[in-house]
Amino acid sequence: MSRQTRQVGGSHRGLDMWLLQRASSVYMALFLPAFLVFVLLDTPLDHAAWSGLFIPLTMKVSVLLFIAAVLAHAWIGLREIFIDYVHFLLPRLALYFAFAALYLACLIWAVDILWSVN
Amino acid sequence: MRFRIYRYDPESGANLENKPWMQDYEITFDPRGKKVLDALIAIKDTLDESLSFRRSCREGVCGSDGVNVNGVNVLACVTALEGLKQPIEIRPLPRLGVVRDLIVDMAQFYQHYRAVKPYLINLDPEPENERLQSPQDRAELDGLWECILCGCCTTACPSFWWNPDKFLGPAALLQSYRFIADTRDQATNERLDFLEDPYRLFRCHGIMNCVEVCPKGLNPLAAIGKIKTLLVKRAL
Repeated sequence: MSRQTRQVGGSHRGLDMWLLQRASSVYMALFLPAFLVFVLLDTPLDHAAWSGLFIPLTMKVSVLLFIAAVLAHAWIGLREIFIDYVHFLLPRLALYFAFAALYLACLIWAVDILWSVN
Repeated sequence: MRFRIYRYDPESGANLENKPWMQDYEITFDPRGKKVLDALIAIKDTLDESLSFRRSCREGVCGSDGVNVNGVNVLACVTALEGLKQPIEIRPLPRLGVVRDLIVDMAQFYQHYRAVKPYLINLDPEPENERLQSPQDRAELDGLWECILCGCCTTACPSFWWNPDKFLGPAALLQSYRFIADTRDQATNERLDFLEDPYRLFRCHGIMNCVEVCPKGLNPLAAIGKIKTLLVKRAL
């Protein structure tokens, strides 16, 4: 019966994932209201003003950080769901990699969008 | 009063192809001041002596009569009959194997309990008398030592349902913290090492079913939170 204790264990991946999820949620919680206030103060909000918001480097970086936080948060959440419900190694690995690739693509795409504004 | 009780008899090969079934019972019984266990005993005494369930102390101390009543894990001996919706549906604790009727196989549950080494580890020479603690240090253990290992919390936890062999469950984690919090224990690091993997502790998603059902009013989620804080403190 002690098979299960040898089956898993040693993989110290629990804490860093959990911490990263907490940290990303803190950043999102701080960024979103600040961003909203920043946008609402910038009236009238036409297309020129909207794209003008994203010209400063600080804005580009903080928005990119926000997107990275969303993606990291979502990926860890998905990983939790896969660990809970997808018990076979191969489909689980496939799902991990599929979503990691998808989210990385989203991140690169976000960089492209943000830095196309100038 | 009307009851609908989960029945399973592993030996009755002919009976319904050896599958569990729900059996209805109707019994004249004054529910005032009575508990679910009183009704179970009355049914066994007067209607059906084959009905099997565990009970020992009958007063919420031994933790042997954990059952699922109308969808909620409870101790039958301390759950009032009054106010329960009829027919009162009584099932064994979820997710564990059923030995017979309401009797479940607790082996997995105890295995997780043993895995957290639920005893004091102290390599100092044994003192003449006892190992002393300050009242403040002793107070740290309140809300932890009271656990009676009935299994209501662990079997109510969806994380345990999905990974019963790997996630320790709230009861074992509460006991783990009981010894982590003990100032006389010297194995805190080893205990934390054991918990730091993706399953044993970190399957807990804060669903809080454990807190809701604990018949002793304990809070395993708070203990799990304190273990996480210690893990973070240790890592940074």
